[in-house]
Amino acid sequence: MTKRAPYPVPAAREPWPGSPKYWQSLEHRGRIDDPEHSDHWAVNAPEFPKGHTDTPPTEEAWQVSRRGLLGAMAATFAVVGAEGCRRPIEKIVPYTRMPEDVIPGVPSHYATVIQRRGDAVGVVVESHEGRPTKVEGNEVQSGSHGAADLVTQATILDLYDPERSTTPRKGGAAASWGDFEGELHAKLAAYEKDGGARLRLLMQPTISPTVLRMRSALVARFPKARAHTWSAVSDSNAREGARIALGQPYNSLFAYDKARVILSLDSDFLQTETGNVRSTRAFANGRRMRTFRDTMSRLYVVEPSRTITGGCADHRLRLAASDVERYAYCLAAELSKSGVPLGAISASVTRLANAEGIPGKWIATVAKELREAKGHALVVVGARQPASVHALAHAVNEALGAPGASLTYTPCADPDETDNATDIKALTDAIAKGEIDGLLILGGNPVYDAPADLSFGDKLAKVPFSVHASLSFDETGERCTWHVPRAHEYESWGDARALDGHVSVQQPLIAPLYGGRSEIELLALVANAPEKGAHEAVRATVRELAFASRGLTGCAPQGEGKLECHDAAGALVPVRAADLERDWNRGLATGVTVKAQPPASSPAARLAEIAAIIDKRRLPPRVGAGALEVTFAPCPKMVDGRHANNTWLQEMPDPVTKLVWDNAAILSPATAQSLGVASKDVLKISVGDRSITAAAWIVPGQADGSIALTLGWGRRKAGRIGDGRGFDAYPLRTVEALGFAPGAQVTKTGDEPYFFAQTQEHNSTEHRPIAMETTLADYRMRPNFAELDSPPPRALPLWSQVDYSKGHQWGMVIDLNACTGCNACVIACMSENNVPVVGKTEVWRGREMHWLRIDRYFVEDPKLGASADEPLIVNQPLACVHCEEAPCENVCPVNATTHGPEGLNEMAYNRCIGTRYCANNCPYKVRKFNYLNWHNDSVWKETGGLPETMQMQQNPNVTVRFRGVMEKCTYCVQRIQSVKIRNQRENREIKDGEIKTACQQTCPAEAIMFGDVNDEGSRVTRWARADRRFGLLSDLGTRPRTTYLGKVRNPNPEMA
Amino acid sequence: MQIFPRSLNKLPQVAGAVAAVGLVAVTFFIWYYFSPWFTQVGYSPRQPVPYSHRLHAGQLGLDCRYCHVNVERAPLAMVPPTETCMNCHQLVRTDSKMLDPIRESWATGKPMEWVRIHKLPDYVYFDHSVHVTAGVGCVECHGRIDQMEQVRMEKPLSMGWCIECHRDVRDKQGDSEHIRPVSEMTNMQWIHEGTVKPPRHLDPPENCFGCHR
Repeated sequence: MTKRAPYPVPAAREPWPGSPKYWQSLEHRGRIDDPEHSDHWAVNAPEFPKGHTDTPPTEEAWQVSRRGLLGAMAATFAVVGAEGCRRPIEKIVPYTRMPEDVIPGVPSHYATVIQRRGDAVGVVVESHEGRPTKVEGNEVQSGSHGAADLVTQATILDLYDPERSTTPRKGGAAASWGDFEGELHAKLAAYEKDGGARLRLLMQPTISPTVLRMRSALVARFPKARAHTWSAVSDSNAREGARIALGQPYNSLFAYDKARVILSLDSDFLQTETGNVRSTRAFANGRRMRTFRDTMSRLYVVEPSRTITGGCADHRLRLAASDVERYAYCLAAELSKSGVPLGAISASVTRLANAEGIPGKWIATVAKELREAKGHALVVVGARQPASVHALAHAVNEALGAPGASLTYTPCADPDETDNATDIKALTDAIAKGEIDGLLILGGNPVYDAPADLSFGDKLAKVPFSVHASLSFDETGERCTWHVPRAHEYESWGDARALDGHVSVQQPLIAPLYGGRSEIELLALVANAPEKGAHEAVRATVRELAFASRGLTGCAPQGEGKLECHDAAGALVPVRAADLERDWNRGLATGVTVKAQPPASSPAARLAEIAAIIDKRRLPPRVGAGALEVTFAPCPKMVDGRHANNTWLQEMPDPVTKLVWDNAAILSPATAQSLGVASKDVLKISVGDRSITAAAWIVPGQADGSIALTLGWGRRKAGRIGDGRGFDAYPLRTVEALGFAPGAQVTKTGDEPYFFAQTQEHNSTEHRPIAMETTLADYRMRPNFAELDSPPPRALPLWSQVDYSKGHQWGMVIDLNACTGCNACVIACMSENNVPVVGKTEVWRGREMHWLRIDRYFVEDPKLGASADEPLIVNQPLACVHCEEAPCENVCPVNATTHGPEGLNEMAYNRCIGTRYCANNCPYKVRKFNYLNWHNDSVWKETGGLPETMQMQQNPNVTVRFRGVMEKCTYCVQRIQSVKIRNQRENREIKDGEIKTACQQTCPAEAIMFGDVNDEGSRVTRWARADRRFGLLSDLGTRPRTTYLGKVRNPNPEMA
Repeated sequence: MQIFPRSLNKLPQVAGAVAAVGLVAVTFFIWYYFSPWFTQVGYSPRQPVPYSHRLHAGQLGLDCRYCHVNVERAPLAMVPPTETCMNCHQLVRTDSKMLDPIRESWATGKPMEWVRIHKLPDYVYFDHSVHVTAGVGCVECHGRIDQMEQVRMEKPLSMGWCIECHRDVRDKQGDSEHIRPVSEMTNMQWIHEGTVKPPRHLDPPENCFGCHR
């Protein structure tokens, strides 16, 4: 048999010395320069990705014996034979009494809100006959701007988690709410005698005005009781920094769109920091390029480990987390030397400014840029950096004229919140001294995530009466005397104050599935509050806030439907109850109930106080070869571990490492080499006398000497999905070292290499230029760089051309310049299109089902100062591009995939016989095959298939695909059809923007545009004509409907 | 030397017998699966309450939309809630034994369980509203419901049958016998004569995503 070589793949331009290199992983990088592989790598590469045909190293392969197979076949035939005669009888079960406003088959939408760290993300939840199925952003609410991040998208699956807590438990045994209330009231009556001196409350940081009001009510009933706050992922350092610098723990609201130069000091503001959704939208707007004449902001990032923020940086400096503070002082010293007024701080920072190991340009040039961009410069500090750096940043921002321009200070929701670590330490100490009889833990999981040196879990046993309210019966619930189920955000009334100060009401979509109660209800129970239920409590809060925002006080009911209030001058103001009702309803409908107050005045930075704090600082020891540091970061998926049982998040590839179902100890290539460690080696990482084991994963761009661990993994009691996944980093985290711990030691345990599954090498670009990018300077010279750099078209269409000039022609544009690679679209797609989860082993085999994936390429380009050790990142979202000349359609033997009149590449599942020819012929590798009936036979196999509650999440307007069927992105055809049908019914034309695909809807960066490319005025047409456009692999003659816009970087020539 | 065993001499007979049986099987297969039997035309199960469309829609002249309220605005025409029955039957035939299940459902809140007759596969996303507002009358798919004592499936509801109508309407627009004025939507006796002006240009889909998603 002759071995036929594929067509030669011409690169756009032949590689020249110093031409950029794109690679997917370090292994791939190694192959590029290998002469064996360099040109004909594609020919020698195996047909399937590594693993497709192998047996997985640890987990059992799916194997069936011959005997078993014959048995199964016999049973199948028997069933088919018996059932084939007659269709089963199906019942129609209508309502008995029809609820108002429900039209069966037509979803309703409700505006509500989700707390994400310190910000409120407004969402609109789609509900099918009372069953919430999909979360979308709320365009009216400023914390969302119509977008939602990946965790917010995935909260809908948390609601339906089959392993949520279903019943109150006493000592682990099921009990009733009545038992609980009886015992609670008896205990509370006893505590009341001494004013609650022996009663404590432990909560997570909250932005809910009603929760705060109920907490005050509780303290009013028990004046000596104390409320503590703890969350493993908090903004305590930022609050403390603001308190030092401004006198009050103000929130900083950064307007990234108004800044020209942004310096991030270890801040992943695009993903894991507070307000990431609004930050992403603003940041993307500040870099949006309609034509080559536009300007864009420049982002400098100093960070120890790769984040998506670092991936978006124009210049990125990898620096150990403990050196970031030193860098900040060096920079401040340089700024002050060059005339930026920093007052008393100047001397303090100059004393600590030791620029050892920091490239000179990163101090002099960055300082110069910030100074010259005065009024348009921003310095942002990450939550794990110490308060002194945050305080310094406030001073620098003020000196650079940011407040009022690109920075607004807003009052924080809970002014009483203290430093979380100190607070939980105080609580633990009090427990140890035996000062506490009753402890109420509302939310959170401190036994799992409290600082390890406190041994919170062990001490908890000393509290005679401890209550834990949580969504799941977790590590903490197990150790408390009582556990009660908490209601999910979609099951209960509540409210939240966003970063900018407006208040949104959280309205329930569904009655509590397991009879859980919300924080508000539990606090009201303990505080003996007069309000009956959370609804009444939230209404009362909102009413007070509305009065306060109008400057009214002392409101009292006055006769029928009237209230009388006093204004600031003391005059009587009548208020009609009907108006209040109208405002409340309007707030529920829009998602914004009480508007934000404009900030009264911008607080001034207190330079002397900041200097005093800096003077007290002792810098951590330098990180070097012998002295490693461990950094802790919230996981982009699990946050602090609370989403561990969420299958969508588990299977979502990490934005940087592309690992699924695991975290890893991230090391730089140099560190790994000096330690003699390879990827997948199991390491023992110890800090002092504490140690953990974790498997290594080498990522270029990680700071040398720094080991990055994400939090939220290695859960012990999260449920079937989350238990034992990844490596728990909490045992290394102490009160003093919540962000990073210097002085770490690493040894290899000598265990078998760990079994990781990742998606980064599943497809090969075969050296084709895929993600086009350039610099701003080059873009201005060659506005159509993306097309110029793409290979010229060389394949002519096989068939006569179809006329696509009439009717609607759907198309999409993806702006690589806006995309941050956050993966929110991936989860939105899974949620909208019933995309199944396949499990770790099957991902390892390359069988993940994501219709939309984000390809992450490392870029090595000397022109941009990006070497192999410090490559840049470019992200490329890729789903079916709906080729007009689709290669898949030509090879389908049964016409299961065909072209529609509106340009969609259509997949008829019921026609597919599973030959997989289409996937083989697809150059984009976006077709996914159902090797098994994934919904039932993957992660939920042992429990008999997809749990009933999770079936409730599924979109009834999309077919649930069975095994043996090919599937892929449909451009959300169910949304297109529903809008088309509605408009035909109402006899009107489809307006631009009326149809939004799920990925477009949720994209916080607005990087995806969808619409009718035949409509001259549509935004998608305008985008598709932008000078940066290129058709991905269109040299193959596929004529893709999805157009990409090339990425533009804005490097500073002086940094080169 | 004999290569083939002696038993192979029976091969022609066996092959002949298999072919004969096969022929019968294929005939049966086509006769059954390509027939309206398989599409279940004529399927007319007993319902928990012998509700008579002939009485209600035919003799009493109730409009279809009195019960199937969502037909013009939703994918599902909707089988009415018990409440709709009770609108009248609180006063009419209050002692009828036949209506016991309805009264029981109303008293207990337990919904009625009707037997589905017109069933499309799960991968078909049929929308009533877009059909009836285009001038496709109820009778086109459901037959003369107003003459049925017990509802019976009248049309095959197969894909070929759907596409036939879609093609006819696309080509003939208002001249197609399947199209009527929207005002006559529920009129079972209406007869197509001459040209009807359809409410909009009709472009029924014939591509896969028109009905399958």
